Amino acid sequence: MVDNRRRDFLRKSSVGLVATLTSGLWFDMLAKGIVPPHSTTFFEERFGVSREDMKKILETALSKGGEFSELFFEYRINNSVQMEEDLIKDSSENITLGVGIRVLKGAQTGYGYTDDLSFEKMKQTALTAAAIAAGNSKVSIADLTQKTSGLKVYDLNLPMNEVKLDSKVDLVKQAYMAAQAYDKRITKVQASLVDELQYVTIVNSEGLFIADARPQMRMFVSSTAEENNIRNTGFKSAGGRVGLNFFITTETPQSIGKKASEEAITLLAAVNPVAGEQPVVLGSRQSGVMIHEAVGHSLEADGNRKKTSIMWDKFGTQVANPIVTIYDDPTIPFYRGSYNVDDEGTIPQKKMLIENGKLVGYLQDRLSAKLMNMEPDGHGRRQTYKNNPIPRMANTVLAPGNASVEEIIRSVKKGFYAETYQGGQVSDSGKFTFSVNMGYLIEDGKITRPVKNATLIGTNVQILNEIELIAHDTAFFLGTCGKDGQSAAVTAGTPTLKLRQMTVGGRK
Amino acid sequence: MKDQNLLQLAEELVGFGKKNGASQVEVSINQGTNFSVDILQGEIEKLTEAVSKGLGLRIFVEGKVARASSSDFSKDTLQKLVTNAILRAKLSSADPLAGLPEKEPLTVDVTALKIYDPAILEMAPEKKIRAAKKTEAICLADHRVKKTFGSTFSTYIGERYLSNSNGFSGSFKRTSCSCGVSLQAGEESNLFDEGWYDSSVNLEGLESAETIAKKAIHRVTRLIGGKKVESQNVPVVFEPPMTAEILGFFSTCVGGNNVYLKQSFLAGKIGEKIGNELVTIIDDGLKAGAPGTEPFDGEGVPLRRTVVMENGILRNYLLDTYAARKLSMKSTGNSGGPNNLYLSAGSSTPEQIIKSVDKGLFLTGTIGFGQVPTTGDISRGAFGIWIEKGELTYPVAEITISGNLAQLLQGIQMVGNDLQFKDSITGPTIKVAEMTVGGK
Repeated sequence: MVDNRRRDFLRKSSVGLVATLTSGLWFDMLAKGIVPPHSTTFFEERFGVSREDMKKILETALSKGGEFSELFFEYRINNSVQMEEDLIKDSSENITLGVGIRVLKGAQTGYGYTDDLSFEKMKQTALTAAAIAAGNSKVSIADLTQKTSGLKVYDLNLPMNEVKLDSKVDLVKQAYMAAQAYDKRITKVQASLVDELQYVTIVNSEGLFIADARPQMRMFVSSTAEENNIRNTGFKSAGGRVGLNFFITTETPQSIGKKASEEAITLLAAVNPVAGEQPVVLGSRQSGVMIHEAVGHSLEADGNRKKTSIMWDKFGTQVANPIVTIYDDPTIPFYRGSYNVDDEGTIPQKKMLIENGKLVGYLQDRLSAKLMNMEPDGHGRRQTYKNNPIPRMANTVLAPGNASVEEIIRSVKKGFYAETYQGGQVSDSGKFTFSVNMGYLIEDGKITRPVKNATLIGTNVQILNEIELIAHDTAFFLGTCGKDGQSAAVTAGTPTLKLRQMTVGGRK
Repeated sequence: MKDQNLLQLAEELVGFGKKNGASQVEVSINQGTNFSVDILQGEIEKLTEAVSKGLGLRIFVEGKVARASSSDFSKDTLQKLVTNAILRAKLSSADPLAGLPEKEPLTVDVTALKIYDPAILEMAPEKKIRAAKKTEAICLADHRVKKTFGSTFSTYIGERYLSNSNGFSGSFKRTSCSCGVSLQAGEESNLFDEGWYDSSVNLEGLESAETIAKKAIHRVTRLIGGKKVESQNVPVVFEPPMTAEILGFFSTCVGGNNVYLKQSFLAGKIGEKIGNELVTIIDDGLKAGAPGTEPFDGEGVPLRRTVVMENGILRNYLLDTYAARKLSMKSTGNSGGPNNLYLSAGSSTPEQIIKSVDKGLFLTGTIGFGQVPTTGDISRGAFGIWIEKGELTYPVAEITISGNLAQLLQGIQMVGNDLQFKDSITGPTIKVAEMTVGGK
């Protein structure tokens, strides 16, 4: 109601939870040989949308004088299994089908979408989107030429959509039971497994034709511990652009469950923070959220093009301590924020944002890149076909430094150590807030008592300049980022680092 | 406007599910037309118009549940989703409490609810564009406004259909419209974002471009120069949108799922005195013309008026059918969360409330996620105006407020008379005895 401009990052994804039998439709289609993986003909074969039709729709979209038109076809199967109160309580299978039609004219966007892929409905939708422009068509549509991404950032061995439901149920049970068995003070556990396969085909008036099939998987456990009428909840999630292999090579369901309970139990002994300004150490485990919120959002091109970001006039200037280097890389294999092709058909690249403290880049989509006279770098993303693409982060990383974790902790006489977060939020003006789920007091150079209910507050300019020491124990945080009402799967990574001074909120 | 074919489709799928081995089936369908225009610097930045639909499905097989949803309405897909769900349900755990609600007659006259306004349907796009442009233009004309993030005007016209195997079959139409603008003001090193959005189920109830712009300008300019204050414990006056935010957290804590899972500090507290005498909180799903009003909820349970807290005593939770059965209570028609949840108005004017504070915070905005239902603990970033000797003095920013919802409800000392039903969660100005402000 009051302000829709804020960006947020939720640790607890509120994704509807779900699962299929042998993998539902997809498996059935595979069995019939209708849909080979990575199919570039998915929408043609499944829904009868030929390339000729696509070209005609692109033409219709430009019939009122637009400069650029684009079709974004999406078919997504999302499955989940959920367990609580010792029961497999729910499972679901969700299908998203539709096409988003975009027309650009200068800085203006016309957008329409439909879940009906008949030629007539698509044509009608194209005319709606076309209305952003007024005049005669001047642009001719190039012939559609198939392009492929050289990137392979998904682990497609043993994809989750081919895993039988009873196996998925087993995985969830393993995580659930490990969480429950961790300590007798654990009174409540919830565990879920969500997997997804998203087919996209993107075509545009410049003749681009490109397709991608993106897997996504995430296991999530929350544990509640109770003692002497004190209740606390710990969380753990793990996953990425991966399949069943992940649980063998990277992290077991048991370990995920155990970590959630570990946090809940530690919090039982937690005290409230000491409110006020103090040195703050950000632990590597999840503090990437801080880099994402406090720095990443301000470097997305749209806010800089519209001059609403604090960074719009700082390109090429020193914005941080020279020990600070930050980049975003959608091409890290198997990471939650990775992709082979972005949502407007650009093949992504690692993008340097701040190099040795100097602002050297913004995260671009097509529209902002064109208007800013820069190159698109594959950060145009959208939640579904119902949304127009906007510049987004993928995997945002603060590069390692030379300090050791011990040295960092030792340097703080009295301060706060942030370990895990519930989430964070930043406004365009750069003011941010983070809710710390679990932190610690630092007293005389040592980590002492656990702390709950702490809030960190500051501005992005301040955080960049207050970074004093950076270690090299980089870890990544899995999250779901919200911007302009659209959510996107992301990660953010950072080593342990020390901020000279930051405001910690809590009870006095 | 109503599409009998969609209700028929829902009913047919229910029959298909029953025939293929489901004990119970529920199918819901939404269809709607969205329009929105974004204006930036006087030009149309984005124009979106679309019709879309979605289907939701719940299947029960002997107390085992499975769900599905789809925007692909082809018969093959939908039937496959039903048969997959039946197979999937069989692999779930049996829960004797799972199942459709008992059939309850719908007695409400949908037209009397006033949730559908044909004027929204008839409004020409040019008029919507003009309203958004005007809102932004008024803001840009104010020299204290540094930038706009643009204005938006949007409308929604939709229909909802629900059918289940207990014999429920119903549908209704609804509309909404909204207009708003986001602004930035302040100095380069200390910028503030604020704005104002108004929404309404009918066109007549929507604030004018002038009113919205004026509120947005006021909200952002009053923060200019905002600075930190010393950390201290002080009384806090909540502006109505902030009261609504606290009620939003309260609704999470009285939400059936959180209660039966004991993830709320209010679990097991029915009949107990939680809040101050002045605190009466009601969820009224039948309030005519209010944004959360509908004839029935997502399970086909008729909406109603539920007293959640009466003079500080916790009387009821917000329950769907399953949570109600878990707690041996009755569904309150809240399968979709709160309908129109509000804190009943008191007798003080907002001015009287501010006047009563010797030193404290007038809270106008928060940022962050620090609300924990398990404990009721609150810790958030905050903005506002500092109160000295009953007067609003200078703006404060980059502070945190923290406290606990139970203590906050006990500490409500004054309740304002400025309650409005513009949002589905709403409340008047309130004064809370003490919260911790974290600053310097």
